[in-house]
Amino acid sequence: MKKVIIELRDVVKQFDDDLIVNGINLQIFENEFLTLLGPSGCGKTTTLRMIGGFEQPNKGEIIINGKVFNDIPPYARPINTVFQKYALFPHLNVFENVAFGLKNRGWDYLCRFFKEEEMRSEILKEKEARGHIDPRVTKRDLKKKINEKISEAVKKVLDLVKLTGLEKRKIDQMSGGQQQRVSLARALVNRPQILLLDEPLAALDLKLRQNMQYELKEMQRKLGITFVFVTHDQEEAMTMSDRIVVMKDGLIQQLGTPKDIYNEPVNRYVATFVGESNIIPGRYLGNQKVAFLGAEFDCLEHPFKVNEPVDVVIRPEDFDVVNHEKAKLSGMVTSSIFKGVHNELLVDIQGHEFIVNTYENYSVGEPIGLKVDPYEIHLMRVENHE
Amino acid sequence: MNKTIRKLAYPYYGWLYFLAIVPIAIMFVLIFFDIEGISFGEASFTFRNFGLFLEPSTIEAFLNSFLFATMATLVSAVLGYMVAYPVFRSRFRNKFIILTLFILPMWSNMLLRTEALGNIMERHNIYTDLLGLESGFNLRGSNLAVLIGLVITYLPFMILPIYTALEKIDPSLEEAALDLGVSEMRKFWKVVFPLSFKGVITGCIMVFLPCMSGFAIPEILGNGNIMLIGNIIEQSFRNMSYNLGSLLAITILFFIFGSLLIVNKVDKDGGTLI
Repeated sequence: MKKVIIELRDVVKQFDDDLIVNGINLQIFENEFLTLLGPSGCGKTTTLRMIGGFEQPNKGEIIINGKVFNDIPPYARPINTVFQKYALFPHLNVFENVAFGLKNRGWDYLCRFFKEEEMRSEILKEKEARGHIDPRVTKRDLKKKINEKISEAVKKVLDLVKLTGLEKRKIDQMSGGQQQRVSLARALVNRPQILLLDEPLAALDLKLRQNMQYELKEMQRKLGITFVFVTHDQEEAMTMSDRIVVMKDGLIQQLGTPKDIYNEPVNRYVATFVGESNIIPGRYLGNQKVAFLGAEFDCLEHPFKVNEPVDVVIRPEDFDVVNHEKAKLSGMVTSSIFKGVHNELLVDIQGHEFIVNTYENYSVGEPIGLKVDPYEIHLMRVENHE
Repeated sequence: MNKTIRKLAYPYYGWLYFLAIVPIAIMFVLIFFDIEGISFGEASFTFRNFGLFLEPSTIEAFLNSFLFATMATLVSAVLGYMVAYPVFRSRFRNKFIILTLFILPMWSNMLLRTEALGNIMERHNIYTDLLGLESGFNLRGSNLAVLIGLVITYLPFMILPIYTALEKIDPSLEEAALDLGVSEMRKFWKVVFPLSFKGVITGCIMVFLPCMSGFAIPEILGNGNIMLIGNIIEQSFRNMSYNLGSLLAITILFFIFGSLLIVNKVDKDGGTLI
């Protein structure tokens, strides 16, 4: 069983009369990469800011390491944040930015952080090596050692984010990608238990963003830090996350692994937000059979009642293009766009428009036959209000 | 730029030319002549005017100006920050109104305002009358009176640039500082103050320059006891000794240009000048 590091219990946040977060329950495990995914205004950033301590919840509890952290200020949390627009200090250079979190800590904190006993023995060894008789460790020695340790730590973390040698650079002389790395280094140097990332890749261009996605994931695995990541980009969420929380209107819609969320969306909202999908009204017939578009299909076992109306989800890439004799569905191609690897077709079947991805070439107006495998058919409960 | 549009500024150019550039040029020439008034007929080229710098009264006036301007600037900087910071922090929605209140006194005539201030500084003033006091104490004519006058008059020039600089600080920087483990106090000294410092510099120069060159406030509040360089310039021109007046005026002008260079250096985009 994994250890829970953060727990949100019935967390509610409202600004004036706007209900932003509407009762969230969430457990975040140690060393996992969790993504809060949703469109802007869904409450994901507010949730992150409450974990970070920048907002206080109106109701509910934020529990970190088993302790209620609601009223504890950001600087006393085992958490660091990578901000959306990096929030680097423009009056400091790269080194000073990264060292900021350590340089401004109190004496006791730093002694604990760098392990006082180890530092003392190191100092003694160095002094003996230099031939001191009766070596003693003064406070000044320790202070010097701490400064050395800070420089070392900064250098190490700059290596980690691949900014070696840029210590003296000014912030405004760096590209967006480099600034992004500095802000990552500035957070990581404090060795937080939890790292919060608020759409950190949003301002980068596509190629850079994809590279950073892999690097972030790699870093998280290597450092064993819990990452809580906020994004509105479903692809980004899919690539990096261990688990994804899909949010809408301050509520959690679905929580699961990227695979679960993609293959088994719980409702229409999740199905359309995460990837492209075709949603067709149907009826569950029981016995692993479902009826839609006037035909009967085999599907997997679902916990629906016999004859219960359901929403059928079929992803565009899950259609097989087949001959008309074998086809369960036949329609007419109304649009065909070349997307590089595949063609994206719009197919009209009995008045419903379907997106179909295929490697075959079809031109507009051609008839087409389609087939779907049972395990590619996903059924969802019909929501009344939509 | 479009030529027709550029022509729109011609009236101002004319004004600038006849009332600023030409007079400065004439003053610059006058430095090197020894004449009474402006009658170039009997003028002769000389460096004698520069002897003025060695006269004790000039040196004292310069020193006085410098001291008063420095003191007024320091006091305004502290007071100005103490005002600008709470305004910046307040949750009041329309901060512009508060700032307008600070500028409000500047819309009344400065001479009248200073005269009124001088009246309050006298032994018998409107407050002693209203409160029925026997007598207050007399400040008018003292150094303190001039200093108070300078600070009250020029404080708005300090508040505005500091406030603007504070307002331009990205709030996420403060969050980042807290996130990195610093307390509120340290956050102020390590992040907020350094980032608002260029506003302080701009404000200091905006206060220092008029304090250094002005003459009305020391004249009125100092009862003529306190001689600043501005007073000497004023007297020189009034006494028709244009050469000496020009020399001092041009010297002050150099200070002004020097200061503007400093502002330019600290605040490249001019962001704190509003």
